[in-house]
Amino acid sequence: MTPTGPSIALIDVDKSYAEGGRTHAVLTGASLTIAPGERVAVLGPSGSGKSTLLNLVSGIDLPDAGTVRVDDIDLGGLDERSRTQFRRDRVGFVFQFFNLIPTLTVRENLALPLELKGEDPGDRIGELLAQVGLADRADSFPDRLSGGEQQRVAVARALVHRPGLILADEPTGNLDVDTGGVVVDLLERLVADAGATLVVVTHSASLAERMDRTVRVDRGQLVST
Amino acid sequence: MRLLTRSSVRYWLGHRLQTALSILGVALGVAVVLSIDMAIDASREGFRISAETVAGRATHTLTRASGDVPDRWLGVVRRDLGVRLSAPIVEGYARSDLVSGRTLRVLGVDPLSEGPFRSYLASAVNDRGMGRFVSDPFAVYVSSVLADGAGLTVGSDLPVTAAGRSWILTVAGIIDPIDDLQRSGLADVLLMDIAGAQDLLGSVGVLTRIDLRLDDGVEPTLDRAIAAGLLTADASLDPIGTRSETLSGMIGAFDVNLTALSLLALVFGMFLIYNAVTFSVVQRRSLFGRLRAVGVTRGEVVRLILREAAVVGVVGALVGIGLGVLLSRGLVGMVSRTINDLYFAVSVRGVEVDPLLLLKAASLGVGATLVAALPPALEAGGANPRLAALRSEIEVRARQWVPRIAAGGLGAAALGGLVLTVPTRSLIVSFTGLFLIITGLALATPGGTLVVVRLARPALTALLGVEGTMAARGVGASLSRTGPAIAALVVAVSVTVGLGVMIDSFRGSLTRWLDGTLQADIYVSLPGATPSRAAGTLWPSIVEDFTAHPAVVGHSTYRGQRRVEGGDVYDLVALDLDPRGEAAFAFLPGSEPDALSRFRAGDAVIVSEPYAYRRGLDVGASVRISGEHAGVDVPIAGVFRDYGSEQGTVMMGRVLYDRLHSDRGITSLGLFLVQGADSEAVVTELLRSVPEDRSVIVRTNDTLRSASLEVFERTFRVTAVLRLLAFIVAFVGVLGALAALQLERGRELGLLRATGMTPGQLWRGVVAQTGLLGLAAGVLSIPMGLALSWVMVYVVNKRSFGWTLDMRVAPDILLQAVVLAVVAAVLAGLGPARTMAKTRPAVALRGE
Ligand SMILES: Nc1ncnc2c1ncn2[C@@H]1O[C@H](COP(=O)(O)OP(=O)(O)OP(=O)(O)O)[C@@H](O)[C@H]1O
Ligand SMILES: [Mg+2]
Repeated sequence: MTPTGPSIALIDVDKSYAEGGRTHAVLTGASLTIAPGERVAVLGPSGSGKSTLLNLVSGIDLPDAGTVRVDDIDLGGLDERSRTQFRRDRVGFVFQFFNLIPTLTVRENLALPLELKGEDPGDRIGELLAQVGLADRADSFPDRLSGGEQQRVAVARALVHRPGLILADEPTGNLDVDTGGVVVDLLERLVADAGATLVVVTHSASLAERMDRTVRVDRGQLVST
Repeated sequence: MRLLTRSSVRYWLGHRLQTALSILGVALGVAVVLSIDMAIDASREGFRISAETVAGRATHTLTRASGDVPDRWLGVVRRDLGVRLSAPIVEGYARSDLVSGRTLRVLGVDPLSEGPFRSYLASAVNDRGMGRFVSDPFAVYVSSVLADGAGLTVGSDLPVTAAGRSWILTVAGIIDPIDDLQRSGLADVLLMDIAGAQDLLGSVGVLTRIDLRLDDGVEPTLDRAIAAGLLTADASLDPIGTRSETLSGMIGAFDVNLTALSLLALVFGMFLIYNAVTFSVVQRRSLFGRLRAVGVTRGEVVRLILREAAVVGVVGALVGIGLGVLLSRGLVGMVSRTINDLYFAVSVRGVEVDPLLLLKAASLGVGATLVAALPPALEAGGANPRLAALRSEIEVRARQWVPRIAAGGLGAAALGGLVLTVPTRSLIVSFTGLFLIITGLALATPGGTLVVVRLARPALTALLGVEGTMAARGVGASLSRTGPAIAALVVAVSVTVGLGVMIDSFRGSLTRWLDGTLQADIYVSLPGATPSRAAGTLWPSIVEDFTAHPAVVGHSTYRGQRRVEGGDVYDLVALDLDPRGEAAFAFLPGSEPDALSRFRAGDAVIVSEPYAYRRGLDVGASVRISGEHAGVDVPIAGVFRDYGSEQGTVMMGRVLYDRLHSDRGITSLGLFLVQGADSEAVVTELLRSVPEDRSVIVRTNDTLRSASLEVFERTFRVTAVLRLLAFIVAFVGVLGALAALQLERGRELGLLRATGMTPGQLWRGVVAQTGLLGLAAGVLSIPMGLALSWVMVYVVNKRSFGWTLDMRVAPDILLQAVVLAVVAAVLAGLGPARTMAKTRPAVALRGE
């Protein structure tokens, strides 16, 4: 299948955080290009700026300087509302801390991106839940699930509305090897089906190996290896 | 957004306390506003309906500014003015033991002239034949409402007292009202033949007015009849309703003051809502952040919160309407009683549920809810999808905002002060200023709290050790959530202080005024339409007997008249002042030194402070007084303090009054006794000389004084109720906000428990923290309360009623304020503290 995922380009991106009067530079002149349908692993020590990178690519955060482009769209040129629209239509995000909605059940958490996009869930939610092994927990609230179960729901939620761009922040961080394997299989299969572009942050060498390419965050720069 | 809605429903269901409190906030606010509205409206309606029913189809009335209309004017109207449809009316008040506590309205009519005017009477009389009515002047017609209430049937005796005499009337017929309007309009009316009414009311040979029915556009002028000496110069022909409209306008300031107070309750309700919604947003910050990250737009989040608020508003408004209708039943009695005491006789039968008032109150409630929810809604929309907006960050930001908000608040308060300096008598402007000050100072309270807490911290640490320090630090660290709660508490307490000081100052000023003004030892008058207002004319024989009593060494006579001229209402008093009574007047600076002698000589009048203030007049200006034959312009020689009439009083020497009027009557009498006389004993002796069938009120100085103070206390009862209600709203708000705050700390406290804090320590910590909040609120509410009192005493009261009060601050009111605030806050902490101390740490730690 020909790729339908977008290309990504970061050009000379600076990002720093202000905290109590001091600024703390995270990315300095970082650049990176990812081809449509490419699957990229992002590595780097804790606190190096991996989550920051994903936030920039998803339009959740904006760079202080430089450009972030997804296909032809310059995210910095969009207003807040259009960036949100971009996210709801095209991005699936597996957050490092899951970020499930506590007042919605597992099924409803999965239905939310579909409803926002205006799509009918059909059987998709049940199928996805079965694939992550949580078919029987569809009506539980997230706070009843274990950490790993929550993580699997988060993966399913990121994929449910068939986004062209999937960003996953340590999707197997809380999982045992076997379950982690299942989740990664699922991720790979769905990405392959849709020809989506995948950027996955991980500390796992084996997961990184299964990607097309690895990028390392190193002292504010993005280094392809 | 089905799922978003579901998410918020689940949230609110999971936080029932918060939900209930928000609904309660709206409901109480709406209830107070609505009930006051309804009570005042019912009183106005009662007055209007009875005026209209009594007026029937008359289009105009002929009255006379300086008093009653002579009988013979009727002939003048029919013959010389050529008005065929005219009817003479004698009107007055009576009381009956069969319906105690109510004032009956005596309406004397000429049955032969009535046909075109009051059809209910004409038909009732025709049905039963006119014979009885005409042949027996003391036969009365009553409505079936009154008959049922007093157990009357045709032929029953109806004992009444009117103008100080007792009579037995006979029920000649019962009128069945044809509609609700008539039902309430006639409820307290005694219809009698004009001759009987004249006897009963002691107004032989005179009428109260002549009703006319004129065709459109044909309005005869009185000039020629006046020139020919047929009518006097003070005759006036007015469209019907003018007089009652003018009278009902008297309660304008009273109305505005009560309404403003009731709005205050709504504002407190808004605090409650703001609090609960803000709280819900703070709690759901990360939830909103997650929604934003998944692709929910900022606008959708804002709309979600506003929708939640709208639901709370609608439910609260509905509950509030129910409560308000109930409450109005209790308030209407108090309000109409006050109107009776202070303004005019009105009888209110019940409270009509007017859909328009309900709609107004409901939209006020929903509107207030949405306004209160807007800031937190916008805040929620700003929830950061980066999910990095940690509690610490919010609090840091909140603390950065505290000084700015405080500065803005002080600015608003200063603006309010500026608004108050606008030279106007408009109450709307004054209350706008007052509300600006209240809001401004409320905004400054979080900043003030930080200061107070910082100052109290060493003492607290010394007193409670670690828990004390933690409590102090906790207040500062959670200011974004505690701020509004403290502000609400401070405002509620300071309004309580403000109102308390105002009532106290009023009582003080009134007492001092009464002490000065009541110079005579004994006062004599007839019972009036309302117990607090003398009316009628004392019998000359009684005046003679009384003044001749051996113990009496001097007397002052007093003739009072309420005058309605044009759109103006005032009290005219003719005084024949005994030299012993001269100290009665406390003249304001600027009065002429010889004011009293000029007043005595009839060269000038003196006016009360409200009279001068309301009409923008000062010493030297002249007032026009219409007399029987001609009006005169008389200069004002002095302005005296007076709290007796808000409309204002013009006092003239009896000499001048007699020059203008043929009336020689006296309304009341003040007697001065010989040194050392026992006034109680003299009163008993005087009363013994009064014939059996007459009633005269003879009171000692002390009795009159306490009766006047009683009226005062009654007048402020409504205010006291509103003050209490407003305070309850605020109290509930604080209770809820602080309780919710502590419950929200459940996880944090669970952690503390898990790491080794004992339940007792936790308990003390929580109570110390809320107690500290209460202390801060109490301390802050003192300056704010004093500022509010100042405004209420010197600006609002003056502009509302025209009189100046001396501000008096009793320290116990201030002390009460602090105690009240601390108690409220500690109570708020107790419940959650207990829950938390009992909860197992594992349970508290579980969950989001
Ligand atoms: N809102 C913020 N305010 C201040 N500093 C921040 C904020 N968000 C991130 N940082 C800092 O930026 C740096 C990069 O953070 P980021 O979350 O991107 O790291 P990461 O590579 O994902 O680390 P990890 O592997 O531990 O998740 C860190 O030092 C972090 O402390
Ligand atoms: Mg990270």
